Amino acid sequence: MAAAAVHVSGHDVVAARYSDVDPVYAETRSIRLVGFMLFLISDCILFSAFIFAYIYLRSSAPIWPPIVDGHQLPWFDTSFAAMNSIVLFGSGVTMHFALENWKHLNKQKFNRWLIATIVLGIGFLLGQAHEYSVVNITWAGSTMGASFFTLTGLHGFHVFIGVCYLTILGIQANRGVYTGSKYFGLIAGTLYWHFVDVIWVALFFLFYLW
Amino acid sequence: MHAATSTTHEVHDVHDHIHPPPEGFVRKYVFSLDHKVIGFQYFFTGLLIMLIAGSFAELVRLQLTDPKGAIMSNTAYNEMFSMHGTAMVWLVLIPLVTGALGNFVMPLQIGARDVAFPWLNMVSFWIVPIAAILLFSSMLWGGPHAGWTEYPPVSLLDGTAGALWCAAIFTVGISSTMTGLNFMTTIIMMRAPGMTWTRMPLFVWATFATALMNMMATVALSAAVGALFLQHVFHVPFFDPARGGSPVLYEHMFWFYSHPAVYIFIIPAFGVISEVISTFARKPIFGYKMIAFSSMAIAILSFTVWAHHMFPSGLAPWLQLPFMILTYAIGIPTGIKIFSWVATLWGGRIYFSTAMLYALGFLITFTFGGITGIFLASVPVDLHAHGTTFIVAHFHYVVAGGSLMGFLAAIPYWYPKATGRLMSERLGHIGFWLFFIGLNGTFMPMHWLGLEGMPRRYATYEYFAKAFPDAQFWNQFETGFSFLMAASIGLLVFNVVWSIKHGKVAGINPWGARTLEWTIDSPPPYYNFKKIPDVFDRPYDFDQPMPYRNTDNVVAPYPEYGAVVMAQPAGAGA
Repeated sequence: MAAAAVHVSGHDVVAARYSDVDPVYAETRSIRLVGFMLFLISDCILFSAFIFAYIYLRSSAPIWPPIVDGHQLPWFDTSFAAMNSIVLFGSGVTMHFALENWKHLNKQKFNRWLIATIVLGIGFLLGQAHEYSVVNITWAGSTMGASFFTLTGLHGFHVFIGVCYLTILGIQANRGVYTGSKYFGLIAGTLYWHFVDVIWVALFFLFYLW
Repeated sequence: MHAATSTTHEVHDVHDHIHPPPEGFVRKYVFSLDHKVIGFQYFFTGLLIMLIAGSFAELVRLQLTDPKGAIMSNTAYNEMFSMHGTAMVWLVLIPLVTGALGNFVMPLQIGARDVAFPWLNMVSFWIVPIAAILLFSSMLWGGPHAGWTEYPPVSLLDGTAGALWCAAIFTVGISSTMTGLNFMTTIIMMRAPGMTWTRMPLFVWATFATALMNMMATVALSAAVGALFLQHVFHVPFFDPARGGSPVLYEHMFWFYSHPAVYIFIIPAFGVISEVISTFARKPIFGYKMIAFSSMAIAILSFTVWAHHMFPSGLAPWLQLPFMILTYAIGIPTGIKIFSWVATLWGGRIYFSTAMLYALGFLITFTFGGITGIFLASVPVDLHAHGTTFIVAHFHYVVAGGSLMGFLAAIPYWYPKATGRLMSERLGHIGFWLFFIGLNGTFMPMHWLGLEGMPRRYATYEYFAKAFPDAQFWNQFETGFSFLMAASIGLLVFNVVWSIKHGKVAGINPWGARTLEWTIDSPPPYYNFKKIPDVFDRPYDFDQPMPYRNTDNVVAPYPEYGAVVMAQPAGAGA
């Protein structure tokens, strides 16, 4: 446990952060960081493959949205999705503040920002659920539905995993698993959350703006 | 900040604290975290599945001894070749060359005590038997029928078996991705002090290139078979042309992985060949940097050539030309390797161990398969030969004559390190000649049969036999020789088992090789290196003392066996 409630200057924080870093931890932290970044790259390629499938199907279709049973499918509701996107991007900002507060040994603020992040994440998932219930297409009905539900579903699954992940990290942080100098788990959680945000930027563009 | 940038010697002191090995059978041999044990697990799993998938291949060959089909129904035949291809690609070759060799050898060669994420490594292995069970259980529902590629729309007729096939490939893909991620991290972060990138053994370079492809390409496969699974189970119309989907999309997604996959098989074999040829020619490897960088060049280029598998699929003509040129281009780094190995042999003092025989056989058969690959890169030739046994001949020359041959060179080479005993050289020599003759006898006639138009994946060939009367003779010829390969693999299994008890004791360095694994005991102790050694040169200069300090055992400045090699022809070691 770092001295959580003590207020110190930035210079002292840096000193405190590295004073109790033993070389083994420093090394395993960089190993885990590299491994985690590689995981994010491979995850990114998973999304890219499905995005490729969507672009391929869309550009090879004679008309888009496609026609099913004689009716052209409707476009998605951009304004609702835009609001929902703001919720998700906002959670990226709050997660950033959570990590910064942890770095500055400010545990109370860390907790508040982390809870805000989790709440916003759940809010985004609820928004997605709402959109699924009102959208006028089905998963198995058309290539549009296939791409849309597969990609946003995969993304929503990632957000769900992220919410669980951040909850576990919050519990761990409050049980003293991380200190002011050893908090790789929090870095990984933040990276993952930002990654999920960035994927949503691409999906939002592809489904709602294109 | 000082601690994070401390000198390597301070880090040593911390690292020299070694945990005791685990107690109990389960922790030691079943759910082991030790990379060496996991390597053995991959080895025996891969070998077992190889026997099953190999017997499927023999059934396929027996069927073709008669133009009407000799032993089974057409449906059963489709199931046999589909299962043979699927199991050999995903459950034999990839687990053997990346899982078994990469796990056992790579951490030893970089001077690490284990891979970066041992627990992930254990999970990666245990996914493979699960995938195997999923795949083989699909045979209860009739099995897959559309070949190892399972192209829709034909594969959509497979029903439950097709869904199980997708599930199996998806799970084994996860294993492969995690292994790639694990190995990349290990090689980037955990090399011994002083082992810079250009001092790494070439097998480690090969494993790095392989891991890169494993990590980046396999997820594309997961997406492809995941979408196919959704199509099977929930009728999501990704690949259903009646509802706007596109079967060609599946081919794109599939080959974006599966072209790198063929390099995933072959590049570890390249690494093995580099080690074996340098060791048994007693010469510095020719063109170290060129071999290392050509592995990376192949890995990167492999992502840009996938559509050459799809020339007859209605690919736009303006797309065919760049893919044709890129496919030719990938022959350049491969050629660089072949010439480097031949130059390494030049003027060397060659010792014909079993491993070296396989390496030399590899040079012949792989080059042959590579050259037919250059033929097939050309669009007009490909359109003629596609779907004929010429393709079968080509990829069996590179897969069996390249990847498997490299693996067969690796077994006798690293077996003494793994078990402490040498394999029988006599049996090994017999096994090599059986394999080499069997391989050429089986696949060579497929070239001219294919060019004459014998279709692949057909259970019968009566029409072809009318047009080309020698067809039955050549097919029986192939079937006969294919049993030589089977005998060779049987001999190998016997040799592996027999030598554990009865082989000659190997000692630390039976081959006089110079990479790091030959400085520790055979078999290696639980934590590999009591002291992490310092590396101050690359390991191939056979006229120099061993380039390590701080090793566990006192290593002879010149390896015992290697002392005979002092003089080299002028200019040969450049």
